[in-house]
Amino acid sequence: MSETRTKAIRPILLVEDRAIDIDLTKRAFSKRKLLNPIEVARDGEEALAYLDRWEAGEPLPICILLDLKMPKVSGLEVLRRLKGHPRFSTIPVIVLTTSTEDEDVNEAYRLGCNSYIVKPVEFENFMNVASNIEIYWCALNIPSK
Amino acid sequence: MQCLHFRGFEEQSHYSPLVRIVLTCTFLFLLPAILYGQKPARPKPSVLVLYWYNKDFLGNEIFEQHFKNALKNVSNGPVDYYPEYLEEDRFPGKEQAQLLHDHLLRKYANRNIDVVVAVSDPPLRLLLEHRHDLFPNSPIVFVAIKPPAKDVLSRPPGMTGILPASTHKQTVDLALSLQPDTEQLFFISGTPERDKRLETIARTELRQYEDKLKINYLTDLSIDELVAGTSNLPPHSIILYGWQQSLGPDGRFIETWDHLAAFSPTASVPIYGMGSANVGRGIIGGFVSGSEENGQRIGEMVQRILNGERAQDIPVENAPAGPMFDWRQLQRWNISETRLPPGSVVRFKELSFWQRYKLQITGVISLLLLQTAFIAVLLVERRRRRMANKALDRLNAELETRIDARTAALNAKSRELETFAYAVAHDLKAPLRGIDGYSRLLLEQYAANLDHEGRAFLRTIQDSTDEMNQLIDDLLAYSRMERRELKSARIELASVIHSLVQEKKREEAVRAIDFVVDVNGSAVLADPNGFNQSLRNYLDNAIKFTANVAAPRIEIGSRQNKDSCIVWVKDNGIGFDMKYHDRIFEIFQRLNVTEAFPGTGIGLAIVRKAMERMGGRAWADSAPDQGATFYLELPNE
Repeated sequence: MSETRTKAIRPILLVEDRAIDIDLTKRAFSKRKLLNPIEVARDGEEALAYLDRWEAGEPLPICILLDLKMPKVSGLEVLRRLKGHPRFSTIPVIVLTTSTEDEDVNEAYRLGCNSYIVKPVEFENFMNVASNIEIYWCALNIPSK
Repeated sequence: MQCLHFRGFEEQSHYSPLVRIVLTCTFLFLLPAILYGQKPARPKPSVLVLYWYNKDFLGNEIFEQHFKNALKNVSNGPVDYYPEYLEEDRFPGKEQAQLLHDHLLRKYANRNIDVVVAVSDPPLRLLLEHRHDLFPNSPIVFVAIKPPAKDVLSRPPGMTGILPASTHKQTVDLALSLQPDTEQLFFISGTPERDKRLETIARTELRQYEDKLKINYLTDLSIDELVAGTSNLPPHSIILYGWQQSLGPDGRFIETWDHLAAFSPTASVPIYGMGSANVGRGIIGGFVSGSEENGQRIGEMVQRILNGERAQDIPVENAPAGPMFDWRQLQRWNISETRLPPGSVVRFKELSFWQRYKLQITGVISLLLLQTAFIAVLLVERRRRRMANKALDRLNAELETRIDARTAALNAKSRELETFAYAVAHDLKAPLRGIDGYSRLLLEQYAANLDHEGRAFLRTIQDSTDEMNQLIDDLLAYSRMERRELKSARIELASVIHSLVQEKKREEAVRAIDFVVDVNGSAVLADPNGFNQSLRNYLDNAIKFTANVAAPRIEIGSRQNKDSCIVWVKDNGIGFDMKYHDRIFEIFQRLNVTEAFPGTGIGLAIVRKAMERMGGRAWADSAPDQGATFYLELPNE
C-alpha cells in the first residue's frame, strides 16, 4: 500500500523550454484528471540537475517527457545522459517534440528513448496524446475510485 | 705524230688487198634519186683518208677519232668517211703500192671524193705520184714533214696541211723550268732496225743544252735493259722519251707505248716526252703534239673545204703542239700544278672524293640537314604539345578544384537553406500550437460568453491554423525530400499500390470512389520514400479533384517499356487546361481557389522533385472537365 502510495505521488518530469507548451501540456493532462504532479525543467541543464536531486533522495519521476530542441543542453544529450546512467536508465523517457526528422527519431531510439511522439498542433490531438501517455505509462497511478 | 716518225723504209710502198663492198652506200646514194625522180639531191660530202699504218695502229685510231669529231659541223653533212690504209710495214715494196693504187682507182672509179687526206709523208707521196689519175679532182689535206713545193700546193684542186715539228727544245725547257736543279738528261730512242735517225734529230736539237746538262743516249735497248737502266738513275736527272720499239725474245714486235709503260713505274726520275699519246702511258708531260691534235686540226681544215673554201686558200701551218701533263705523274714526282706554264693541259686528274661526289655529298648532307631540321621541328612541336598538354592538365585540375570548391560551397549553401527552411517550418509549429490550443480552450470554456459571430471567428482561426499546419507539413516534406538520402530498391507495384489504396479508401470511406488497379505485377527500381510519396500525392490529387464528380473513378496502371516503367493515376475529375501543365508541377502553384479544392500547391512539386532525384520524369495529360492522367516514368537501370 505504502509503495502504491509512493507511486501515486511520483511526479511526471516535463522537460520543455516553451511556456505555452508547458501550459498546454499541463492542461491536457489535467483534463485527463491525472493526479501526478508535473514537475518542469525549462532546459537541458535543469533536467540534468535532477540527476543530483534524485541521488540525494528525491522521488524518481514515473516518466520523463522530453523535448529535443532546447537551449543550452539539447534533449538528445539529456537522453544520452539519462539512459547512460547506472541507476536512472530505467526511468521511461517519452520524447515529445515537433521534429519529424528521421535523424532525430533514429538517434532518440538509438539512445534508448521509450517512445517518440510528435507534438500535434491541434489541441484535440494533443489531448489524445496526453491520454495515450497516461494510459500507457501512468496507468498504475490512476487512483482507484 | 708518232706515225710520222721515220722508219727508214718509207720509199717502199705496199698495197693491201682491201676489198670493201659498199653496196649499201651506193644504194643510199641512189635512194634520193630513185625517190625524187629527175631531181637528184646534192650528194653527201665524202672524205677519203689514207693512213700509213694499219687500222689497229694506235696513232691511227686516235687520229680517226678526233678527225671525225671535228667534222661534225659540215653544212650539208654528215660526211661519208672512207678510211684506207697503206700498211707499208706489212706490205712493203713498190709493187704493193702500185696494187693499192690500182685497187683505189677501181674501187672509187664511180665515187665522188670531195677531199683526200694523207696522214704522214708516205701516203702523201703515193697520192702525189698518182695525182693524174688517182682522185685528180680532189683537194688534198696532209700531215707531212716534207710538204710539196708551193706551186704544187696552189695548183687546182689545191692542197693544204700541217707540218709536224720536233718539240725537243720546248720539252726540255719545260722540264728545266719545273726541275731547275736538273744535271743530267737521258734520251731514250730505238727501233728494231736500229735506226739512228730519231737520235740524230735529238742530238742536233739537244746540243744547245750540253753546257748545262750531261746528256746521255739510251738507244736501242730491250725492254728489260730499259727497266734496269732507268730504275737507278742518279738524282737531279730527267728522262726524255723519244721513240722506242723493239722485238721481244719471242720475236714479237713491241710498240713504243709498251716500252714506256714497262719502265715508267720503276723509273727513278721523271720522264718527259713529245708525243701526246705518251701522256697517260708513263711520261710526266712535255711540249706535246700527235695524232690527237693532228686529227683535230686536219678535221677542221677538211670541214672548211667541204663548207666551200678552196684548199689552196688555207695556209699550210705548223702542227698544233703545247704543254700537256699527266696529273698522276705530277703527284708522283711532287710537282705542283701551280708551277705549270699557263695554258697547260692536265690529263688524268683524279678527282678527290669530294670533287667526284660533290653533288651526291652535297645532296646527302642537304637531305641530312633537312631531315635534322624536320626532326628538330618535330621535337620542338612535340615539346610544345607536351607543354600545352601540361598546361591543359593544370588548367583542368584547377578547373576541377574550382568546380569542387563551388559545388561544395553550393551544397553547403543549399544545405544551409534547407536547414533554414526546416527550422522556420519547425519553429512555426510551436506558436501555431498555441493559437490552436488557446482558441479551442476559449471555445470550450467561454462559449457561453460569445455570440454566434464570435464563435464563428474562433472557428475561422482554427481553420486557418489547420491550413497553416498543412502548409508547414508539406514544406517540411518538400525540404525533407531534398535532404533525404537517395536509396534504390526494387518495389513491387501491386503491393505498394494496394496498401496505399486501402489507406485512401479508409480515409475517404464516406465517398464511393471506384479504385481500379491494373499493374500486371510490374516492379520498379526506385527510392521507396520518394516513390511512395509521389504515388500518394498523385492519389491525393485525384481524390481531391474528383470531389464534385457524381461517380468518382480512379485508375492506377503501369506499362513496362524497354528502358523504363511508366505508372499512371487516371481520374475523371475536373481536369485542367494543358497550357498550365508546367505550372502545376511548380511549388505553390495552384489552378483553383482554396475554398473549392484546398491544398498547398506543394504536392506535385514534391512528385517532380522526387522523380528528378531518381532520374525519372513526372508529367500529366488532361483537358478541362475531361479528367486527368498523371504519369511517373522510372528508368529500369
